[in-house]
Amino acid sequence: MSFSKKTEASSVTYNRCSIDLETGLIEFKELPCRNLEEVVGGFGRSFQLLGERDIKEAYSSDNPLVLNTGLLTGTGIMTGLRTYFSAYSPLKHSNKGLPAAMWSAASGKFGSKLKWTGIDEVVFENRSSTQVYVVLSEGENGPCAELKPAGHLSGLTTHQKIMALQKEYPDAHFAAIGPAGENYQSVHMGAVALSTENQLKSGEDKCRFAGRGGMGSIMGYKNLLAIVAQSKDAVKPITSEVRNVNRVIMKGGGSTKYQPVKQGGGGGTWANYEVLQAFYAVPENNFRPKGNRDLEALFPENVAKVMDIRSEACFRCGIRCHNNLHRKMQDGAKGGFVAKFDYEPLDLFGANLGILDGEKVASLVKLCDNLGMDAISLPTTISYILDYNERHSDNPMLNGAKFGEYEKIKELVIKTGLGQLKEVGQGVKRLSRNFNETAYANHVKGLELPGYLPETNPGYAWSIAGGHMSMGTALSFAKDGNTNLDYWVKAITDSGVLQVGYDMIGLCKFIGLLMNHEMFPRAIKAATGLEVSSIDLETAIRRAYFRGLALERKQGYEAEEYTLPSQVFDNPNPNVKLPHFITRDFFTKLEQKVWEVFDPHVNELLDEILGEDEA
Amino acid sequence: MEVNVKLFASFAVGRLKNEIKVYPCQTTVAEVVESIGIDKRELGIILVNDKHASLDYVLENGDTLSLLPLVGGG
Repeated sequence: MSFSKKTEASSVTYNRCSIDLETGLIEFKELPCRNLEEVVGGFGRSFQLLGERDIKEAYSSDNPLVLNTGLLTGTGIMTGLRTYFSAYSPLKHSNKGLPAAMWSAASGKFGSKLKWTGIDEVVFENRSSTQVYVVLSEGENGPCAELKPAGHLSGLTTHQKIMALQKEYPDAHFAAIGPAGENYQSVHMGAVALSTENQLKSGEDKCRFAGRGGMGSIMGYKNLLAIVAQSKDAVKPITSEVRNVNRVIMKGGGSTKYQPVKQGGGGGTWANYEVLQAFYAVPENNFRPKGNRDLEALFPENVAKVMDIRSEACFRCGIRCHNNLHRKMQDGAKGGFVAKFDYEPLDLFGANLGILDGEKVASLVKLCDNLGMDAISLPTTISYILDYNERHSDNPMLNGAKFGEYEKIKELVIKTGLGQLKEVGQGVKRLSRNFNETAYANHVKGLELPGYLPETNPGYAWSIAGGHMSMGTALSFAKDGNTNLDYWVKAITDSGVLQVGYDMIGLCKFIGLLMNHEMFPRAIKAATGLEVSSIDLETAIRRAYFRGLALERKQGYEAEEYTLPSQVFDNPNPNVKLPHFITRDFFTKLEQKVWEVFDPHVNELLDEILGEDEA
Repeated sequence: MEVNVKLFASFAVGRLKNEIKVYPCQTTVAEVVESIGIDKRELGIILVNDKHASLDYVLENGDTLSLLPLVGGG
């Protein structure tokens, strides 16, 4: 296949390190890319490897964990920091009980350090019989990898593991799991924490997280507690064209909304709170907004009365999107760091659990982060529990926690993270089925929903990984208010799909531009010399997305699983000031039209995948 | 005519939050946006009387115009 006169996929190679954790065998191979998806990288490459495996159980030694980066990770292109973890998920599963292929992504500096060792991808095969960590480093004659005993790291929090390793490895960054991942049997939503410059310099627990899908639990199953990427910083000199591309990223309009308000920006994702509240569309009390102003206690100006809020950015990034909360001392000075407020953790540990005290919300986020769990799946599962207990006061589950009961909620978080509450750790799909009350279990296809009401986003049904990160329709209804069927078919099948391109190329979604923007081929050319047209890039992104759907089919997903929680259809919330348009009739017509567009591509790829299996 | 103008999130910083303002008849949303000093490229959501509207919408006496910035996921 040729995607330009100058660059063919097979002329591009990537360096794979395969590590057999059972035998200790380590191999390095330089492999040619088979197609443009492999060139661009991330899940575009890892899902092709996963498609070659026949996996019935996530916790099985033949389920590989793929760690990789994107084409622009570690380059001078702003936000080129992303690292990806892919495997068959212990959390997301079909009704047939088969694990879904999943990926999750994170920033920090780990990905760049990995790329600078000369390694593009690591495949962890099998599992170690003892707890280990892996050191990936640049050697005189190429990259090196080494397995080391990790007993001294066992039981430590994500942050503690990273800080312990930092003492031993200069010029390095780290990926680590917490106690939750180590207790993988009970916790299927373990996250992987990646270190940041801010963290290593300050000593504060400012990690970034690859949270979705339980990739940290897969690491725990493999007895792989941490990964070290050690290399000298190797950003190439910034050329004028790289500078021009970065100018587009900073000034092109897409990232403005994430900049601090003082800088003329929108204030980061925290601003979603106030905007969605205008419609009473902020999830509250298990995704059932109350239609009042209670949650405004968590608006930035109100939290700022009791906490110190600082805007910070990732390494070499000009988008200062982090809203970092510190305690406020009596004299007004900045105290200890508590947590970073992104929209999801803020809402899902806050109003969605009935907690409206900023400091308490931040404390729950901090616990979740340090124990090493996904800050979407955990609170969304807990919100189901609280809802159940409100409905069954006479016979509640677990500790009987209800909305707003901070101490009981905190107990659920801690015990889950320590592996003591399998009911929570296995996620809301399994939990709700055990209790035979699924209407208000907020998941789609077994993965818990992020902080956008399902009644505002029919696109969730076709997300192939994190609900709002793998289908770009989460805020469409708030923005456009359009209830037209053809609008939604287009939103899902046309622009929505392109969201996943960010999880191939190594850039952060906070660039805020659609992946068919002319900036991306310019960025690829400026950073790597490769010439890729917008059309070819878009085609590759779509093909990677369709491969994700094909893998879902392979793992037994059937048509009726592409849906929303049934209370969306059967019990619409009258408090939401947006039209209730997702009726069963609407959704039936929508899925018919969406599958008309998707099926030919998905079936073609499924035949390819199954054909390879038979071979 | 009188229009109740409401600004949300970053739009309200250094500007009005919720104010009744007087405009000539036939004033459009675009003209109000310009008069307040908001960059149209930053406009995310326009609501008139709680319903989505566009920049060329012609306002009427007593309307409530809500202007919200672009937001993004994360």
